[in-house]
Amino acid sequence: MDTAKALQLLAGPLEVVHLGIENVASAPAATGAPVHTVDFVPPAGGDPARVAALQALASGPVGEAVDAANRRALDRILASRPHLVGIGVARDVIPGMADGLFLHAGPPITWERMCGPLRGAVMGGMLHEGMAATPEEAARRAAAGAVRFDPCHHHRAVGPMAGLVTPSMPVWILEDLDGPGTGTRTFCTLNEGLGKVLRYGAFSDEVLQRLRFMADDLAPTLADALALHGPVDLRLLMAQALQMGDEGHNRNRAGTSLLLRELAPAVVRSTADRERAARALEFIHRNDHFFLNLTMPMAKCMLLAAEGEGLSTLVTVMARNGTDFGIQVAGLPGRWFTGPAQEVRGLYFPGFGVADANPDIGDSAITETAGIGGFAMAAAPAIVQFVGGTAADALATTRAMGRITTGPNPGWAIPALGFAGTPTGIDVRKVEEQNLLPTINTGIAHRDPGVGQVGAGLVGPPWECFHLALAALAQAPGLRPQASGPPPNPASGLGPQASGKAEAGETGSGEREGA
Amino acid sequence: MADLLVVRRNAYHDSARLMAISRRMQALPGIREAEVMMGTPLNLELLAGAGWPPAAATPLDLVVALRGERDDDLRAAEAALTGLLAGGETAATRQEQRPGSVAEAVALHPGANLVSIAVPGPYAAFVAQRALDAGRHVFLFSDNVPLADEIVLKRRGADLGLLVMGPDCGTAIISGVGLGFANRVRRGPVGIVGASGTGIQEICCHLDALGVGVSHAIGTGSRDLGAAVGGVMTELGLAVLAADPGTRAVVLVAKHPDPGVAARIHGVLAGLGKPAVVRYLGEEPPASRDGVRYAGSLDEAAEMAATACGQEASQGGLGSGVRGPGSGKESAGGVPAGGWGPGSGVRGPAQPPNQGRGESGEGRGPHPTRGTGRLVGLFGGGSLAAEARLALAQVGIDTTVPEEMLRVGAPIPGDGHIVVDTGDDAYTVGRPHPMVDQTVRCGLIRAAGADPTVGVVLLDLVLGDGAHSDPAPELADAVREARRARGTAPLEVVASVCGAAADPQQPVRQRAVLEEAGVRVEDSAFRAARLAAALLGPEGRA
Repeated sequence: MDTAKALQLLAGPLEVVHLGIENVASAPAATGAPVHTVDFVPPAGGDPARVAALQALASGPVGEAVDAANRRALDRILASRPHLVGIGVARDVIPGMADGLFLHAGPPITWERMCGPLRGAVMGGMLHEGMAATPEEAARRAAAGAVRFDPCHHHRAVGPMAGLVTPSMPVWILEDLDGPGTGTRTFCTLNEGLGKVLRYGAFSDEVLQRLRFMADDLAPTLADALALHGPVDLRLLMAQALQMGDEGHNRNRAGTSLLLRELAPAVVRSTADRERAARALEFIHRNDHFFLNLTMPMAKCMLLAAEGEGLSTLVTVMARNGTDFGIQVAGLPGRWFTGPAQEVRGLYFPGFGVADANPDIGDSAITETAGIGGFAMAAAPAIVQFVGGTAADALATTRAMGRITTGPNPGWAIPALGFAGTPTGIDVRKVEEQNLLPTINTGIAHRDPGVGQVGAGLVGPPWECFHLALAALAQAPGLRPQASGPPPNPASGLGPQASGKAEAGETGSGEREGA
Repeated sequence: MADLLVVRRNAYHDSARLMAISRRMQALPGIREAEVMMGTPLNLELLAGAGWPPAAATPLDLVVALRGERDDDLRAAEAALTGLLAGGETAATRQEQRPGSVAEAVALHPGANLVSIAVPGPYAAFVAQRALDAGRHVFLFSDNVPLADEIVLKRRGADLGLLVMGPDCGTAIISGVGLGFANRVRRGPVGIVGASGTGIQEICCHLDALGVGVSHAIGTGSRDLGAAVGGVMTELGLAVLAADPGTRAVVLVAKHPDPGVAARIHGVLAGLGKPAVVRYLGEEPPASRDGVRYAGSLDEAAEMAATACGQEASQGGLGSGVRGPGSGKESAGGVPAGGWGPGSGVRGPAQPPNQGRGESGEGRGPHPTRGTGRLVGLFGGGSLAAEARLALAQVGIDTTVPEEMLRVGAPIPGDGHIVVDTGDDAYTVGRPHPMVDQTVRCGLIRAAGADPTVGVVLLDLVLGDGAHSDPAPELADAVREARRARGTAPLEVVASVCGAAADPQQPVRQRAVLEEAGVRVEDSAFRAARLAAALLGPEGRA
């Protein structure tokens, strides 16, 4: 019997971590031992089946194998090098894109279950593509199946709010250069600005004209400028933006300014048409969120590097379509775990209130998935109103996200936290163990198509996503509890064996097989 | 003199921060100059001006220029840079945060070596597993942990060489630090392994009173010596104490061990290489053999262990007399003469109760008033209740645990002598243990007083950290009310006080408060039970 560790304990000094009834810790405290009290809450909401699943995934050799897999997944995320390399037309550059196919935010959804803003965006997209002459015709044809729908995430793309990508839209092209996923490309449309915009379900002439300007004028100008400038390392721009008060989701003013500064000379040099250059620069200048449509595909590119890491319980996707919220995990690539999209707790623009709000929508939670957005609140004192109003609340939010993530991103340092890196790599197990959901910063869309943004605030995923993911992970080959025998072989992975289960139907909660 | 110029590609850091980091790099051993900067044209120019070769770097690259005595120093400093850049909150700001999990707690406090768990039973095993995952020993106070979980936890703990004290472990003392309910006993040569919290406490307090002291008391939880668990942690605890240089004698205390497990543990004890004493609560002791001494009471177990240490120290002084309760005579060295012989655990009939050890005889009349009626024992410590039952049975007083629960404001059920553990689950639903909250027990004392068939009330009082901060006044009030409720009919009340002199409740004061209320106080549950028996008189025997 090995007594070495116990003898070490007896040799002292004793230092105690305590959980539960406080009085029980009074003895060590009174007799001279430091006592560190844990804020205990019953794990996994106290549900016995989930506690058992969590125990199987967190403890012993399986727990160690998962820990190692998550560290590898995090290392790959941190090592990826997403660069902005160009602009192309969706039809030409997005894999699997085709005429008649519209991409949207969030997990898969049918026209029947789409929320107002997403339907409005689809109608606007059909008008933009010439598939309908009037909004009414568009709605009729969409209901009749004239459009195929697919999530952006199934095509290495992401989109804010409705996230609509139609075949003729221009999209940013990002590529991992020298990272673990070298050659991996991700895509996102260009940000339209605020007010009445397609991503909030608006489809008026003003919206359509802007889309045309962006496709015919802005995108070619920026494409030329990028060709002249060469790839832009977005992680480095993000690092600077975080130290200038952005968090990369609800505040993008610094990132937008940095991008403008970076590209402006090339924009001017790449065209003889001064007015054309000015239009492009002015468009960027007038839209504080222009950079969001780059932080999102940057985050997607980073997270793709972790996808398929065998045994990993890291979240690689969080996305909403305005009806459902879906997540995916690295060890079970392609499987959606969904629940109902939640109400956003937020601040409203004058004249609007909770009754106007659509449930949570958009792929932009990919920023939180990559450790920015709500996870980097401590970097963005200007928008602390969203998390409680004080800078202390912002620090607390980022610290709390440290509890459910795998490690800091040293490349993205937050001055207010002693240059600690942003908390990165959401671990399904930690979310369940600590009963703590990711904090997501987000805009609030009006529930009716065409009205636009009515506020901004905070939202979390529904618990169902994590409960379903936990259950699936606990049943995954290599992760099922083993009475004895060698630890699971991480090389075996989970992906090939992962099988989709029946769709949960109209409730919106369940598991689905991805593309 | 050596130079090192390194360019780290694509690594943006704030310039003011890099200046501070440069200064810290200069303070590293063997470093004369250190410049860490982004590769802006201006910075590269500055470097060139300082005599460095040109560096191929962009404004997004980190340039590290080091100059020092030896290449090794430069390489060490360059490696240290990664840590300096990693940043993070200082220890001071991190200390302010309460961790949210065991893993987080040990990350914040890497020196923590034990996790104390008092969470609801259904989650206790999960938390304990996380503690074992973190490589920490476990003190598991929680009860209602499934037996299957306990077996898995303890086997894993034993495999890892980690103590799993519990579940349902009330008491432990590790190198003078108490866990759960624990008395502030002096440190000394006796090590204890115990499946009984109050059993450990009573032995500790006796040893303290004997001037001997405790090295460590390792709790195992109440089920450890059951057939299912098989004594896994008892065995590890004994092995640890056998190897511990500060432990000269070992005491094992447990309740109702499985016979097969007890037989195996006997072999372990016989091979310890140190004097071993065993007290199996509520049971007549088997014959001492193979150098393993089986005691007949907790008092005797403590005395045997003390003697063993005295023996080892003085190579002599062993008596062979059979000691009855209350007959302890302290030897010159503070160690009482004690019996090692077979049968030493068998007590004689009840002795006159006015010869208690030390000061316990003071303040009492020469003869107790003989009570009549039933004996009602209302205990806070389950193990002490078991000891009392045995002590009573040995003098012919049979007690039962009534099937019907005792209720505040109702007569005592049945018509015989009863001993009740008010720490039993049935009495603690929705409220703390009676060692912390005496509301129910005080109510039952009043109920016993109001019941004219009751002649003697037997109590225990357990002091120490974790227990009620001042329990005697509440009990004294309840006794006074109990007597008022019955008018002129006499009611005898006997209590044992389990406490060490250094305990925050001050046992001397607690005792005085009880005696002032007319309670007869003894130093052990065993002695109190025997006194109660004597008070019942011959007619009380079955």
